[in-house]
Amino acid sequence: MTGSSSWTPERRAREHELLLRLSAISPADSSEYNAIRDELVTMHLPLVRHLARKYADRGEPLEDLVQVGTVGLITALDRFDNERGTELASFAGPYITGEIRRHFRDKAWSVRIPRSLQELQGPLAAATEKLTRDLNRSPTVAELAASLNVPEDLVLDAMEARHSYSASSLDEALEAGTLSLPSIDLALERIDERETLEPLLQALPDRERLILTRRFFDEWSQRQIADELGISQMHVSRILARTLTHLRIQLKDTRD
Amino acid sequence: MSGPDEVRLSFEADTRNIALTRTLAAAMAARADLPIDQLEDARLAVDEAVTQVIASAPAGAEVVCIMSAAPGELSITVSAPGTQEPSQSTFSWMVLSALVSSLDAQVADGRITFMLLIERADVDA
Repeated sequence: MTGSSSWTPERRAREHELLLRLSAISPADSSEYNAIRDELVTMHLPLVRHLARKYADRGEPLEDLVQVGTVGLITALDRFDNERGTELASFAGPYITGEIRRHFRDKAWSVRIPRSLQELQGPLAAATEKLTRDLNRSPTVAELAASLNVPEDLVLDAMEARHSYSASSLDEALEAGTLSLPSIDLALERIDERETLEPLLQALPDRERLILTRRFFDEWSQRQIADELGISQMHVSRILARTLTHLRIQLKDTRD
Repeated sequence: MSGPDEVRLSFEADTRNIALTRTLAAAMAARADLPIDQLEDARLAVDEAVTQVIASAPAGAEVVCIMSAAPGELSITVSAPGTQEPSQSTFSWMVLSALVSSLDAQVADGRITFMLLIERADVDA
């Protein structure tokens, strides 16, 4: 990987040491975990920058691309398995470019969204990610506004805009093999419509069913689900809204 | 702001109007200083409750939605003409109760009212 070619043996040793420490502690010990992760993120920023620059001629500010790329790097770090013997840089590359590409895919709705709201999407996603990590919970609109230095209303509008863009750009790749699906039989016992509902739930794509089950049967928070799947909480929220609407229509069709 | 931070929205029982209540819920959740995952839950919850009352209300009936924000707390009532107490063993009820901190539904004077309360989940603030 080009980004790491200039690395000295000392830096490699440091990275190795940090990764070992990171794998030895759980994310629940958030302050130490975050400190180590931040250092690793900083070490790999040149890689993010390098990859972001490849997309710099497409009309997006480089800083935005670096920000969304950093989100990819963080996801990669959280999923990196030290034992596997791969280089972190090679492992993280696809996550970083994936996140940058997704950023462009999400731009498909640019015709419908005012430019100021559009420009806020990347920074908003990055700020949400960072604050969620720092605070160890989802941030409030006021906290996001303060961090982005924009009015609260603009943050709300930007969040609203995310909801209105089309479903086709929502599909982040998620390896099917990584999902272990909880059983829904027990939870369904309480439900009158279980006979019609069950086949509808079974027919959902794995990811949709998992997210729905976690939120409504297991009563996990959106943020906990986002952490489990390594996707953004906003994404969880969109999938929930879409899946509920889908189920509601199907249930109604069965009744009518 | 003096007095309770309360907003009242009344509209015809038509599914076209549901989007308005989602937007209002998000704005009021922000005023209640709820974290954004709970803000999104508020959107889903009001969507679910309003959909339910619209489904059972006669055409052209008036739906009234009142949202009240206090620090760390958003309360929402949704009411429309109706005489039937909603069943608590439906998927819809299960969804609603997972989204809110407390949920109640009452029938009185020919109107059905859903009462939703969303309290901020974390305690560090």
